[in-house]
Amino acid sequence: SQPLAGGQAAELQSKVVPSKQIIHSDNMEMEPETMETKSVTDYFSKLHMGSLVYSCTSKRKNK
Amino acid sequence: FVGCRMEASCLELALEGERLCKAGDCRAGVSFFEAAVQVGTEDLRTLSAIYSQLGNAYFYLHEYAKALEYHHHDLTLARTIGDLLGEAKASGNLGNTLKVLGNFEEAIVCCQRHLDISRELNDKVGEARALYNLGNVYHSKGKNVANAGTHDPGELPDDVKNALQKAAKYYEENLSIVTELGDRAAQGRAFGNLGNTHYLLGNFRSAVLAHEQRLLIAKEFGDRSAERRAYSNLGNAYIFLGEFETAAEYYRRTLQLARQLKDRAVEAQACYSLGNTYTLLQDYEKAIDYHLKHLVIAQELHDKIGEGRACWSLGNAYTALGNHDQAIHFAGRHLEISREVGDRSGELTARLNLSDLQMVLGLSYSTNNSMMAESHAVENSVNGGRPRGRRYSMENMELMKLTPEKVPNWN
Repeated sequence: SQPLAGGQAAELQSKVVPSKQIIHSDNMEMEPETMETKSVTDYFSKLHMGSLVYSCTSKRKNK
Repeated sequence: FVGCRMEASCLELALEGERLCKAGDCRAGVSFFEAAVQVGTEDLRTLSAIYSQLGNAYFYLHEYAKALEYHHHDLTLARTIGDLLGEAKASGNLGNTLKVLGNFEEAIVCCQRHLDISRELNDKVGEARALYNLGNVYHSKGKNVANAGTHDPGELPDDVKNALQKAAKYYEENLSIVTELGDRAAQGRAFGNLGNTHYLLGNFRSAVLAHEQRLLIAKEFGDRSAERRAYSNLGNAYIFLGEFETAAEYYRRTLQLARQLKDRAVEAQACYSLGNTYTLLQDYEKAIDYHLKHLVIAQELHDKIGEGRACWSLGNAYTALGNHDQAIHFAGRHLEISREVGDRSGELTARLNLSDLQMVLGLSYSTNNSMMAESHAVENSVNGGRPRGRRYSMENMELMKLTPEKVPNWN
């Protein structure tokens, strides 16, 4: 683990400079990622709805 | 007729998947999306939306290989049907996923594609989001190279510095657009990550300024998680500015919010930071108090690494107080835990600590000597004899200057 690894140096001189025997943990707090979103309803416009209905109707006719 | 039923069924399943994911149940959402894919659809835009959401759901579930697979399908599909906006979105998501997987070069290509298309479409929102993603990739890249490197603390290798400076540049470009758009939430995110980038670059004053902005926006939104993040990051920056009292104050606020938010892991982290800060303030009693609080939570959460860290810190604090019995107790626990978790460098640290303490307690020279010899054997097997992941901070720079005198073959 990172802080412990860094701690090696700190340990070695712990009695030399007691106040500096600290390893500050590197716990930076990052902001969340933003993902791009799509939705099935995005494309489900009237036009699209029309084409789906058309495709269903035409399939039915073909049967 | 069968085809029509299929279309409807696929759509219904996908809509239920969307509903579940929005409600925060990604696991259940994934099942519905996968069922929708099984049923299939002739409508490639619907399929693209399903792939995209599957990718995002797996991303949030931290199953990045699956996320990669679906975002890749989405990208291929978007290109096939000539959906430029869809391609931009898929590229951005693929870029974010590749970043998490550590494939920074490909991540940059994907995020750049997201940016280029957004600019081509004059899509300001997309452009800003792509810039934020690019900043994140360069930030991760810089951090990753820094952790893997064998450079001395206080010196940033050129590639790390370049990556972090690029990250800062992208966050700033993002900030100028989202400020223009009046998107405060996006400004908050950019300030937070810009602050962290300045922190890694060692620009601690700039880091403070950015995190103060982040704090302001978090309060505007009543976003207590973001507020807590800002306090914690401000604490970190003040540590490296040498203003320990101010750092302690920010860490206390972090702790207070962590308790309100009932986040035990974050509470433990805040206790650990406070313990370290009071060590710097040479108030070892308080340091021990907080490190013990950290230890209790680490044990409760079965966090062995945290427990080892707590024992190590407690050993140090007790040593500083001259309480060698307690110091030996915790150094011994640290050794046990380091062995248990297979932390070779932790093991080395603990051995050296114990040998030092035994020397103080006046144990026989030969015992101590053999302990040192064993330590060197461990040391040489750890990362080729060099410690990994050392922080390039002012704090450790001083430590490292002192180190070679005591262990001549350290490097």
